Parts: sequence; structure tokens; C-alpha cells
Amino acid sequence: MISFENVDKFILANMCVHIPKGVTVGLIGATGSGKTTFIKLICGLLAPDKGNVYVMDHEPVSMLGKREAELGVLFAQLPSLQTEETVVNNFHSLKLIYRLKESFFEKSYKTLSERLGFGGFQYEKIGNLSMGQRRRAELGAALIHNPRLLLLDEPTIGLDMNGKEAIRALIKEREAKGLTNIVTSHDMSDISDVCSRICILDKGRICYYGRSDILFRKYAPVDVMQLTLQGGIPDIEDLPVKSYHIDGDKLKLIYNSNQITSAEILKVILSKASIKEVSIKKPNLADVIMKIERGIADEQFY
Amino acid sequence: MMKNDTMHLAGVYTKYVMKSWFQYKVDAVLRSLAVFLREATGIFVIYFTLLEFDSLNGWNIYEMLFLFSLLFVTYGILILFFTGLRDFGHTVRTGGFDRFILRPRGLLFQLIFCNADWFAAIGHGGLGIVLFIISAGKVGVQWDVVTILYYIFAIIGGVLIQGAIFLFLATLNIYLLETGSIKELFYFNAREFAGYPISIFSKGIQAVMIYVVPFAFVNYFPAQYLLRKPDMEQYPEIFMYLTPVVGVVMYLLAYGFWRFSVKYYKSSGN
Repeated sequence: MISFENVDKFILANMCVHIPKGVTVGLIGATGSGKTTFIKLICGLLAPDKGNVYVMDHEPVSMLGKREAELGVLFAQLPSLQTEETVVNNFHSLKLIYRLKESFFEKSYKTLSERLGFGGFQYEKIGNLSMGQRRRAELGAALIHNPRLLLLDEPTIGLDMNGKEAIRALIKEREAKGLTNIVTSHDMSDISDVCSRICILDKGRICYYGRSDILFRKYAPVDVMQLTLQGGIPDIEDLPVKSYHIDGDKLKLIYNSNQITSAEILKVILSKASIKEVSIKKPNLADVIMKIERGIADEQFY
Repeated sequence: MMKNDTMHLAGVYTKYVMKSWFQYKVDAVLRSLAVFLREATGIFVIYFTLLEFDSLNGWNIYEMLFLFSLLFVTYGILILFFTGLRDFGHTVRTGGFDRFILRPRGLLFQLIFCNADWFAAIGHGGLGIVLFIISAGKVGVQWDVVTILYYIFAIIGGVLIQGAIFLFLATLNIYLLETGSIKELFYFNAREFAGYPISIFSKGIQAVMIYVVPFAFVNYFPAQYLLRKPDMEQYPEIFMYLTPVVGVVMYLLAYGFWRFSVKYYKSSGN
């Protein structure tokens, strides 16, 4: 679906990456790391200084203005709808722009307006809407033609929890249908909830690209288990944990989940003591990104 | 099918643009009137000045008003179609051009139909029509089929000439990002000269007005065809018939420059 071959552009340097059809990639990186440049190269707004970009077997720059229902784009800073016009009229323009059939348009509009919740203010002018309302309509506009490739730059800015859930569900459904999505976001829950692949950019270079579960196993396999025990602390010297701390009847274990699972630890402890309370903390995506970007060692992770 | 579809979209855009400009009706009337009066003030100054001199290089006051009317009528029509090109620099700088590029429609089509400065169109066009009504019956033109057809083709040619200048200057934005001062110099300042018979100016300015920014073909030579003033003797007679040709050729050249240059458009990183 998307292929970067030794691409140089602005901060991006010698970038090589292949994104297959039917996946959702979460693009993560600090401000200025090259996320927007990456997206603009994919949709053809920028041409590489060096190397090649191919999207759906074509150089995107050569396909500008020619793609019909193939590309849906939403940029955080770029208004995609006419501010002086109502929501519904904007969508009717899009129907003509993308040459959508009436029956397809009606069905798509009904579904998106209900799920993203912009049907309730469809007769309001875009310029009169709140940021969250406008974002709902803009997301609908990016999806109205059911594009093969969807590029969303910070899609959930301004959205409430219902709005976030709606767009996440729509992205997941697209992936299930074999459509491709690329999402940049500063909200790590956007990425971790919907993206099957993660691409981490740091100063124009990819420092991780792959499945999200492998990202955790590779960079942050450290889990923390907190136990409140009854009847004393059992002998745990044989457990292959990184470290443990005892505070009265409380036991805190820090361990590498690639070496021993939580179930195995609990089985050993239950055989020697009674457990009143247990909690297990796994690192979230934000923790992992911070660990990678700052080069934090496992021992200092918690 | 495709043409109907495109015309339908053009109609939808035009409807939305008009709704947008005339959202507040009183404001729309006042702002159109403001443009009209702003431009008319300049005409009043010239009118009262000319009353003192009787004529300017053989052109009396009504012939001068007729010359002005061509300039205002063509601009009134021009701005309905070329506002998007007049404001192209702003569109590029605010990222709006990226939005147009990502849509599967012609860029020039979107620029032409997505906006129209109706207040300028009414102000300039209205003033042009008023000046035409005041002057047309007093400049000795026999209005028959030939002169009416000539007038219509001269207007179309004049619109195309100025549209070509707008398109050329808009294209320069792709390379320079900011061309406001160039547009001010080569369009709006040159247009100031075009209000007068070019024969009153030095040879250098005349050459600019004929060969560089050919406003002379927008109003002076068409007016000469209709008025036949003696100062036309210094120019080839064929110039009086060339306005539509100059318009089409200039527009095609500007369009070619646009098509060539738009491939080099580069968005910003963020």
C-alpha cells in the first residue's frame, strides 16, 4: 500500500518503511519529529528530495487531483470544510466533488452523521460550530467516500469521550474490512486502542516500526505486581523477578514478563500464602515511548 | 455526463458563494456601495479636472468616461471569476491550496468557482455600467449589430487579458510565496494609467501598456475602434481588432505557465 525507499525530506532522513494494505498504523513522535511531513509525502503534497515514495503503486505527486475514492485526509491545522456553509451543504458539495452515487452518499451520510453525532447540528454553519462539533463533521468529510487509505492527523483534538470512541470504532471497522488507516496523535490512548502497528519517529528517523504487542515485549516487558498478603511473606528467592520490596504485609514484585508470567508468580505465592489483594501494573504506550526516547533502562523504569 | 457534472458543481459553488457574500443583506448593500463610491470618487476628481481643460489630447469628458467604463465593466466581470487568483497568495499561505490539491477536481476550476468578490463586482461593474450609460449616447457611436458585437468581444477579450495577468501573478506565488507588491505594481498601478488615453504618456509607458501589461487592449484600442480619435494614427490600425486575440493568447500562455508551475508546488512541512 505505502512504500518509502531511502526518503529524505526536511527532517526525515533516509527513511525506509513499508506499510501493507489493511493495517492501522499509529504515527508517534514529538513535535517536529516529522509526522506531518510523513503524511504529506504520502498524500503527495510534498515530493521527496531523495528516494521514492509509492502509494498504491504510484508516486503520490503524480496522482494529485486524479484519485477519486482512494484517499481521505484530515489535517489538524487545515480546515477541510467551507466555514460559511452548513454541515449538510458541505457534504452535498463533497458528493459532487467525489462523484458519489446518490444511494451511496445517502447511506454513508446517514451512518456517519449518526455515529459521529453531527446529524444534530447538520443545518448549522461550520463557522458557528464548537471545535469538537466541527471536528466531528470534518471526520465525517474524510470518511464520506469510504477511502481505501485514510490519513488522520490528530483526529481526536477537541472531541469528548463519545466522539473519541466513535472515531476509534470506525477506524477499527475499516481495518476489519481491509482498508488502511494512518493516525497521528498526541493522545496515546488513540494509538494504543486502535492501531495494530506503531511507528515511532524521533528527529526524522524511525526508531520503531512494527506490531504494538511486540513493541511492549521488546522495550517494556517490565510489569509490577503489588500484593497484600495474610499470614506473613513467603520465601520468593527462587522466583526470577528483577527485584522485590517488602513493607509490612505488602509485597511489591518487579519482573520481566518475557521471563515469567503473572500467572506463574501468583501460582507460586498462592502455594505458600493467602492473598488479600493483588494488582498488576503494565506499562502504557506513553511509558514505552518515554522509555525509548529517553533511553531509560528497565531497572529505572518504575 | 462529465461536463454536466462539472457545471452542476460550478452551480453549487456559485450558489454557496453568493449565499456567503449576501448573508447580511444590509451589510452587502453598504459594502458594495462603498466600493462603488470609492471608485467613483476618483472619477469625480478626473471629471472636475477635465472640466477645466475641455479635453485631454483630443478626448472630451464623455469619451474619457467611456474609456473608464470599459475598465470598470471588465473588472466587474473579471472579479467574479478570478477572485480565487487575486487572493491566491493568501490561499497558499493559509494552507487552503493543500485542500484543493487533495480533491479530485481541477485546481483552476476550484480556484475560480470557490470564491467571488461580489462586492467588488457590483461596485466596479455597477460604476462601469453607470459610466457607460452616461457616455455611450454622447460619444457619437452608432450602436448597430456590428458595434454591439465588437463591444461584447472587446469586453470578453479585456476580461481574458486581465484574467491572464491574475493567473500569471498567481502562478508566481508558487515560486515566491508572496507577490503582493508585484501584483500592486504590475496590475493595480498599471491599471491607474489605463484610465487615460495612452497617447498622453511617454513612449516607454506606452510600450509597457501595449506589450508588457497590455491594458491598452482592454480599453484604449477598443474605444478607438468605436470613437476613431486622431491620436490612433500613431498605432497600427490592426491593434483595434486584436483585443480578443490578445486575450485568448495571453490566457493560454498564462495557463501553460500555471500547468507547468503547479507541478512544482510544495506544501510546508507543518
